[in-house]
Amino acid sequence: MRKRYVQAPGRTDEASGLRFFRKAEAVDLFFVGYGLLIVVLVAASYAAGVFRLLPHDPEAVNLDLMLAPPGTAGHLLGTDFMGRDLLARLILGIQAYFLPGLLAIAVAIVPGTALGVLAGYGAGRADRVITWFSNLVDSFPRLVLILLVVAAFKPDIYFIMVVVGLTNVPATVSLVKVKIRFLREKNFIEAAEGLGLPRRTIVLKHILWHHCRASLIIRATLGMGEAILMETSLSYLGFGVQEPTPSWGNMVQSGANYFLQGNFWPSTVPALAILLAILGFHLLGDGLNNLLERKAVY
Amino acid sequence: MNLKGVKPVARILAREVAVTAFLLLGVSAVVFGILYLAPGDPFSLLLEGQMSAGAPGQGVREALGVPKAWHVQYLSWLAGMFRGNFGASIRTGLPVLEEMTRVGLNTLLLTLGSMAVTLLVAVPIALYAAVRGVNRVSFPLTMAAYVVSALPVFWLGYVVIYLFLHTFGLFPLASGSPGGSHGTNRLFLLLPIVVLGLGNGTLSEVIRHLREEMGRVLSEDYIRTARAKGASVWNHAFREGFLIPVTEIVASKIPFILGGTVIVEQVFNWPGMGRMAWQAALDRDFPVIMGIAVLAAVFVRAGSLLQRIVYIAVNPGASRETVERRAA
Repeated sequence: MRKRYVQAPGRTDEASGLRFFRKAEAVDLFFVGYGLLIVVLVAASYAAGVFRLLPHDPEAVNLDLMLAPPGTAGHLLGTDFMGRDLLARLILGIQAYFLPGLLAIAVAIVPGTALGVLAGYGAGRADRVITWFSNLVDSFPRLVLILLVVAAFKPDIYFIMVVVGLTNVPATVSLVKVKIRFLREKNFIEAAEGLGLPRRTIVLKHILWHHCRASLIIRATLGMGEAILMETSLSYLGFGVQEPTPSWGNMVQSGANYFLQGNFWPSTVPALAILLAILGFHLLGDGLNNLLERKAVY
Repeated sequence: MNLKGVKPVARILAREVAVTAFLLLGVSAVVFGILYLAPGDPFSLLLEGQMSAGAPGQGVREALGVPKAWHVQYLSWLAGMFRGNFGASIRTGLPVLEEMTRVGLNTLLLTLGSMAVTLLVAVPIALYAAVRGVNRVSFPLTMAAYVVSALPVFWLGYVVIYLFLHTFGLFPLASGSPGGSHGTNRLFLLLPIVVLGLGNGTLSEVIRHLREEMGRVLSEDYIRTARAKGASVWNHAFREGFLIPVTEIVASKIPFILGGTVIVEQVFNWPGMGRMAWQAALDRDFPVIMGIAVLAAVFVRAGSLLQRIVYIAVNPGASRETVERRAA
């Protein structure tokens, strides 16, 4: 379906604005496509893990072939300091963040949306309490809060990702709240209320489904980028996924010992993977934002 | 214009300070709550493998003065903090406050320096992109900033160290080394600041926010009028399009930057609070991690209070409601 942008009357810069949009459209499509490619790669990782399609056993040690450079026969991306195949570890490392990341997104989006509706629709008191809660959560640097939780509970990565999700709740809350405040003054919501539609229908269908869907999907893709960053950072610091299970973070960490000697690949390969994945999810969010949000005509 | 909502600036400020104090009280309750719920207490860690868990351990606990009920523990911890007593580290036995002030300055230097680096790079790119739109200069620059921001900061650190060691032949000599090595030493101190400023994801967010806000302001009618009159567009757009978005984004990114210091200090062996927090989490050193969490929250709240003050100074007529709408 072709997109149509409604032009505000009386804008003098119509022509140049239109040209900008056409240009932006191609760029957005590229971003979305690139982001989707990352998603496909994630799926491929699980397929490879389940159907045993990995090029090598990711935990098989081969001391005859330590720190092999990329392109060595049989090891496309080379091997790490214990001779383990980097490509296999890289592919399996995707699983270190993906499901925990989904958990973090779910924790951020579902309660966040519910609280946002409460704050947007509820009376002043509910809004004040929720705003106070949001400010409280925002007062903690996320990594410091996680270190606190690590010190207290020695948690696994799923527990940590629940905390990451909780720290993202305020962002979802304010997004939904602002949307509702804005929409409540619109005619179609007033009309729906005047027609006597139950509030449940108005909130779930008219507001959340028709007007918050796009923003929430975008928040989710950005949330995945944040989850990757968090998981790799924690694994780098030694609190996340533990050796010998591969994670991009602990791969960078274990390869870093050899980096200063000039063996770049063991840590650069996972670092570039982190870069491309985070960039992919961010650009997917950006592209979706431009494509979906501008389409919505209020 | 509705003048009913206008309050004296002093009253708004007093309110902001009160809110900040109340939030910090909440922070202390959360910190205490998390560690109170933790399985095992620090003393069992301290005594681990040294003493049986039975009666002698209980005696040591009482000798060290552990109160039993949770509210007594919380209140005595809170009262101690007000007097500047954050307790003593379980591992080293040193007072936490002294340790924190010793390393806190290093972290403050790292944080403020990296913010300056971020702004120095981000502001020109964002302003150019806001004024000229997407073109063949601004697009690659913005993309490059996005790429650098998405690089894992721990890896970027190693790359920079490697470049300095092997390419430029500059060595991070041990601090306090004699003679002419001070030049390279000081240069090496700049590395973590630059790495934290460029990496860590803050750069792209500052660019995005400032570009959008400035772009929005530049398309306002009053800017068109200013341009038509031949008045300075910059003067008219400065407050709304530059000052407010910059303070907003910097204040909202302080938690993120403080989180980044944990990693950067790890990479560069920078003796700061982030490394201390990492060590404390490893050792389950409760008093240290509690103190750091509270102090970090104080940093965050101070930044956000500063942002509110700038906002109110720019627009004294701002009622509470508009302040909140801007923050959302």
